[in-house]
Amino acid sequence: MNPSIVRTPFLNRRTALQVTAASFLTWAVTGSNSAQGLGRSTATATSADLWRAVSRVGYGPSEALVRSVQAAPSPRAWALQQIDLARAASQSPPRLAPDLADFNAPLPRIFAGARAEREARAKTKATAGADTDADASRRMDFSNPRAPEHFSRTMAQQAAAWRLTSASQPELENPLLARMTEFWFNHLNVYVGKGAVRPFTGHYVVNVARTHALGRFEDLLLASARHPAMLLYLDQARSVANGTRGPQGSTRGLNENYARELMELHTLGVDGGYTQTDVRELARVLTGWTVSQSDAGGFQFAARLHDTGTKQVLGRVFNSEAGPALKDGSGSGQREGEDAIRMLARHPSTARRVCLRLAQFFVADTPSAALVKALSQTFLASQGNISAVMRALLQSAEFWNPESRLFKTPMDFACSALAATHQAREGDAGGRAGAGSDIGADRRGLVLTLGFLNNAGQPLHGWQTPDGYRTDAATWLVPEALTRRADFALALARQTPALDFLLPFLSEATRSAIAQEKPALQAGLMLASPDFMAK
Amino acid sequence: MPTFKHRPPANPATPTRRQLLHALAASGSFWAAPALWAQPENAINTGAAHAGSTGATGTFGTESRLIVVFLRGAYDGLSALVPHGDANYYALRPSIAIAAPDGSAQTTLKLDATFGLHPALAGLLPLWQQGVLGAIPCAGSPDPTRSHFDAQHHWELGIPGKSSSGNGWMNTLASLRGTPAATKPVAVGVGEANPLILVGTAPVQLVPKGQAATRQGAVGDPRTREALMKLYAGQDSLSQAFRNGADSRMQTAQTLSADMAATGMDSAQMLAASNGAGNPQGLLLDAQHLGTLMRQDRNLRLGFLSAGGWDTHANQGAASGSLANNLGNLARALVQLRRDFSQANDVVVVCSEFGRTSAENGTRGTDHGHGNTLWLMGNRVHGGRWHGTWSGLAQGNLHEGRDLPVHHDFRAVLAQVLRTSQGLSGAEIDRLFPGFAWDKSLDGLMRA
Repeated sequence: MNPSIVRTPFLNRRTALQVTAASFLTWAVTGSNSAQGLGRSTATATSADLWRAVSRVGYGPSEALVRSVQAAPSPRAWALQQIDLARAASQSPPRLAPDLADFNAPLPRIFAGARAEREARAKTKATAGADTDADASRRMDFSNPRAPEHFSRTMAQQAAAWRLTSASQPELENPLLARMTEFWFNHLNVYVGKGAVRPFTGHYVVNVARTHALGRFEDLLLASARHPAMLLYLDQARSVANGTRGPQGSTRGLNENYARELMELHTLGVDGGYTQTDVRELARVLTGWTVSQSDAGGFQFAARLHDTGTKQVLGRVFNSEAGPALKDGSGSGQREGEDAIRMLARHPSTARRVCLRLAQFFVADTPSAALVKALSQTFLASQGNISAVMRALLQSAEFWNPESRLFKTPMDFACSALAATHQAREGDAGGRAGAGSDIGADRRGLVLTLGFLNNAGQPLHGWQTPDGYRTDAATWLVPEALTRRADFALALARQTPALDFLLPFLSEATRSAIAQEKPALQAGLMLASPDFMAK
Repeated sequence: MPTFKHRPPANPATPTRRQLLHALAASGSFWAAPALWAQPENAINTGAAHAGSTGATGTFGTESRLIVVFLRGAYDGLSALVPHGDANYYALRPSIAIAAPDGSAQTTLKLDATFGLHPALAGLLPLWQQGVLGAIPCAGSPDPTRSHFDAQHHWELGIPGKSSSGNGWMNTLASLRGTPAATKPVAVGVGEANPLILVGTAPVQLVPKGQAATRQGAVGDPRTREALMKLYAGQDSLSQAFRNGADSRMQTAQTLSADMAATGMDSAQMLAASNGAGNPQGLLLDAQHLGTLMRQDRNLRLGFLSAGGWDTHANQGAASGSLANNLGNLARALVQLRRDFSQANDVVVVCSEFGRTSAENGTRGTDHGHGNTLWLMGNRVHGGRWHGTWSGLAQGNLHEGRDLPVHHDFRAVLAQVLRTSQGLSGAEIDRLFPGFAWDKSLDGLMRA
């Protein structure tokens, strides 16, 4: 980081936070040479583009990723190529190491595992004592058969291992696809910490967020609405027509949770034009949408639980009697819900909200209104085609502007550190042929990463609330947190040789400071350097 | 609240701060030793030095501390302060009402003819009986939003209805309590990365949750500290932030570790000895850390804690269950806070962004509501009683026929607390809560 440029008049933490965020991200504060500063020794457009491409389309430079970008005509061309590649990859199953495969098993198997877990726990009243299976899954060791009473935790750990390895190894997962998977999972967040949700979280990531990552938004939304993870997370599975008879003659009724968040967070936004009445009416429309332990999709429409009255959501009338029954016998009651969800997905407020979040995730904390508007128009014109929107985004001047930085979230930082050290760590452990054959050497890195993310306040799959985490600098650029990033970097890169391929991305000041240090520390210091804190 | 709220940078600093900044940065020893933060032995001197500095700290010195505990997710106040005297309560909540008081276990602990405590809050009963714990059953924000995120935003800004970014009211309060050239934090938050209520121009100490707070990490290790500081030696804002963070982190870790060493027990033993609670974690551990930090650094006058997991839409349970467990944890944390914050003008506020529906929903839980019980704890609190208007749970008296009404604006409650315990003037309180109105019916809330 060139020390001469950014002068901010603050020591005080809170303002330092906001003004650091602003001044840090726009390099033109003092009008100095904007090509200096974070990370680049040469001011060429290509190297700035290279950094931008690897850091934002992927999770950060690794030797493999840099080679891949350099093989393309230009970083910008490479970025655009990734859209179709990612889309194609999303239609194939993820590459899973054999010991990680269970978390993406068919849903009926996961339901069975969860059932067996409940039964096993009821029998043994598993305590929090020393438990080799529990320790094994915490250590990311999935080599032995798991005890049934730790099924959920094992599923969650496997999913976490897959996410982190996918994000840091382009040979395992298309980098743009990994990015879009993160974005959509966060937008349609479920919380792995909720007991009923935990075993299904990984399946949700793969089959909802990943599969539909570059398809049509309304298909993504429908997939989310029908998946057990979401049905259980926001209590939709339990929401039934008011007065429905329950077990032992009790009466059950509506639960508004999912309907509210569907409109407030997943689509329109809090000012997107709905009322409390709409929330309730939408909840009525969605009654009957619940989980199935035997269906391949984990979903069933339980007609008995459906509110068959007339409802009105955003001025549109929904009435089961009005439409034709479908061939599969589900009837028009289910159709109401599908129609309502598609209606929300196609709403202009949804286009604005989704495109704003995409722009904040990929371009800037405060993207220009012009960019958001252009993306929204593309969204609406393409009927919510995410590939089309991403093409517009990755072609925008704003995305490639070297002066505009995004401060890395803890997830960004962790994955970029994993990516940068992957080859060195794998080589260190004796090297294993075939990406994804075994998470073996990565195990220590994955465990460190999960701990880091927990302490940083961004636990993997562990954001408790449906709004998902923010990605702006004002949220994550906290002074003490910077030191914890240094801890993680040094621990991860311990015993890793210096990462020479990173040198071109570091500033002169950083390079010369690091050159004076012990070789054993140099890799960690590179990752802990100011240059590596932004993307 | 949509998650894409923008937070534009704060206004540029005054020249005083800029000069101070450069002076400090140039000194070179900024991060070398925890010299900038108050040392324990300076505590009394620091307090005295502040005593005459602003009107707000006037006669209140170090004995006037405010702790805010925010329960995120809209906790169910009707399960905490139970309206056992209202037959509607039992009609509205057939599965989840807490049984009426009859002296047996798992029933409401009677406070008076109207209200009682959830049995999991038994630890608070002595505090109520001592007259240091009080409640306002129908407090809240006048804004009708039932969005968690919006409502929390309003509470933390102190401006109901404002959806754009701004400064947290506790940060503004910190500015009022500190000296104009203050670089030492007056406010500390434990547990959250960056809560909005503490955002603003005044310096704030942020401490992570759990045991992480006790570890210095690489910046505390001589083998790595120097190398890291060289990387962040510049005058740019990121470097300053790093050095800032290193200093603060080392000081915090030392303080928390020293405190545990001084007592001769680790915190787990301490807790086990005192109430059999076993390993402290979550809110209780954070409350302990808050108490330690504010005890050792008398500059710290304002503390913030939060706890989540209150959004009980399904199967919330009654006398036992998930909500009851959470209430039990809360009670232990509040008892701990009472131990650490029982000086003359210390006040602990426990609040949530809104309440929950009076009736149970179709899944043995409750949905988002409006008014909620707000708790106050402190010697200056007129405790042992509940305050304000209670209009019962007859449907005609419910907000939109479903929720507790908000009879008392949370700002009016806080104004009473701040006027009495912190000596703030009306004008100063108006800076925190622009345009709020005094609620004379709450004039008996605090002891004169």
